[in-house]
Amino acid sequence: MNRSSLTSTTRLPALPKWLRFRYFAWALGIGAFVGAAAYLEFSPQALAEGAPRMINFVRQLFPPDIKVLPSLIAPALKTVLMAAVATVMAALMSLPLAVMAAGNTEMPKALRGISRLLIEVARVIPDVVFALIFITAVGLGPFPGTLAMAVHSVGMLGKLYREAMEEIDPGPPEAVKAVGATRLQVVRYAVIPAALPAMVSDTLYRFDINVRNSIIIGFVGAGGIGYRLIVAMRLFKYQELLMILLLILGIIWVTEKLSDRLRAAIFGQPLLR
Amino acid sequence: MMLEVKALSKRLPDGRPLLKGISFDVREGELVGIIGLSGVGKTVLLRCINRLTEPDGGEICLRCDGEEYRITGINGHKLRDIRRKFAMVYQDFNLVGRLTVLDNVLIGRLGRISTLKSMIKRFSLADKEEALEWLSRLGIENLAPRRAETLSGGEMQRVALARAMMQGCQVLLADEPVANLDPKTAEEVMGQLVEITEKNNLRTLAVMHQPELVRRYCHRVIAIKEGIVAYDGKADIDEQVLAHVYDKASGASKVA
Ligand SMILES: Nc1ncnc2c1ncn2[C@@H]1O[C@H](COP(=O)(O)OP(=O)(O)OP(=O)(O)O)[C@@H](O)[C@H]1O
Ligand SMILES: [Mg+2]
Repeated sequence: MNRSSLTSTTRLPALPKWLRFRYFAWALGIGAFVGAAAYLEFSPQALAEGAPRMINFVRQLFPPDIKVLPSLIAPALKTVLMAAVATVMAALMSLPLAVMAAGNTEMPKALRGISRLLIEVARVIPDVVFALIFITAVGLGPFPGTLAMAVHSVGMLGKLYREAMEEIDPGPPEAVKAVGATRLQVVRYAVIPAALPAMVSDTLYRFDINVRNSIIIGFVGAGGIGYRLIVAMRLFKYQELLMILLLILGIIWVTEKLSDRLRAAIFGQPLLR
Repeated sequence: MMLEVKALSKRLPDGRPLLKGISFDVREGELVGIIGLSGVGKTVLLRCINRLTEPDGGEICLRCDGEEYRITGINGHKLRDIRRKFAMVYQDFNLVGRLTVLDNVLIGRLGRISTLKSMIKRFSLADKEEALEWLSRLGIENLAPRRAETLSGGEMQRVALARAMMQGCQVLLADEPVANLDPKTAEEVMGQLVEITEKNNLRTLAVMHQPELVRRYCHRVIAIKEGIVAYDGKADIDEQVLAHVYDKASGASKVA
């Protein structure tokens, strides 16, 4: 074997210049992190000094107050229903927007631009801001909260639906187009069927998120279990607070299991391949 | 009463010419085989004919029912209307996997029913009966309720053919219609293709890779080589011509 040619071909390429200063780069990175933490008033000392108070607070949470459980059922149901209704509304709004926004549905450029903008706006504005806007219109209650969640969810669902549509195999839509079908027919018979599994999955995922969000929306006056949580905290009813937290944990666990089940039921038919 | 392709040309994205002036015509009731080496541009040629791919030059013209339809140089709903007359069976079928076989066949009718009705799958009973009729003619009516994605390649091919026939087309463009079939089924499908072509007075172009099947079932054969028509004549093509068509070494294509 020719030794010289071997060594010349197996020599590693030289490191880029900036990598040779990597110790310096590490030091710089760590310094920046410590600086940022200091700016945020991080103080290990305060945490250590406050530890007994923290432990005391946690101790006051126990035992959970099971007596209040019956009175929590209705608010919990309300929270879950708000999430469900908001998710359905969001799905209904997101579907046409995503069809218009997707690059492979051949919709007019103007519509595409507008729908992409709307989806982006819905995503950028937090749902709490939407909630405040709707509260000024219709007053406090579950209605504005649900609306707010629905509109904000369009930001994520619209984007995910659009991606689901753009990721499909271009063959079948083209075949449907070649039959002489209109653009809407192509969407109905080729694009949506192919994108549907991903879209259903996205919707269930958003429902999970909306259950958590509807608890938070409850803080700002939409009612439900979130409202009970804030009240229990304000009134220092710590044992009731723990009961509420446990119930929330249960709700989230159940919705996650349910949507997993649903997903499996819809797409779980194994193919004989 | 025929399909005319005149001086069709198409360049690859990098600028190299792929088709350099292809001309031929196909008469009513005629099944024309297209042969040529892999990569010579047979699929591109078929796609240019119904303008799924935009040709760079040339003209495509369909004469039927005493009218002349030009498919090149039109757009929008005019193009859509003419596309109904051109059906295509794709090399990879392009069925909609999550719809049933019956729905896939009914898709062939979309060009003829109103968009609004089709949004809620409102196909007429007659349409459904005709779809089932085509499936049973191709021997797969028992597959009607199955999801298309669960079919075997050969089954998909026949569903694709049924979809094409539901279009009530004048021109049938079939890209390797029997490539995925066992020898016996291949013969069956070719036999049906001839029969359908003759009975319905179609002008059928079928890309083929098996000279024996071409000889036995096609009325005529066109060979493409290096971007031009190297042979256009009787389907009973002799070995010499065949050797020339499939000869990679000769000509400029190797240099280019
Ligand atoms: N979108 C594209 N971009 C670049 N090259 C392409 C494109 N479509 C086709 N080609 C090239 O054009 C040539 C002809 O392709 P085509 O699919 O028509 O071949 P074919 O004759 O049908 O071959 P086969 O018998 O294997 O199906 C090939 O070399 C292919 O790589
Ligand atoms: Mg091909």
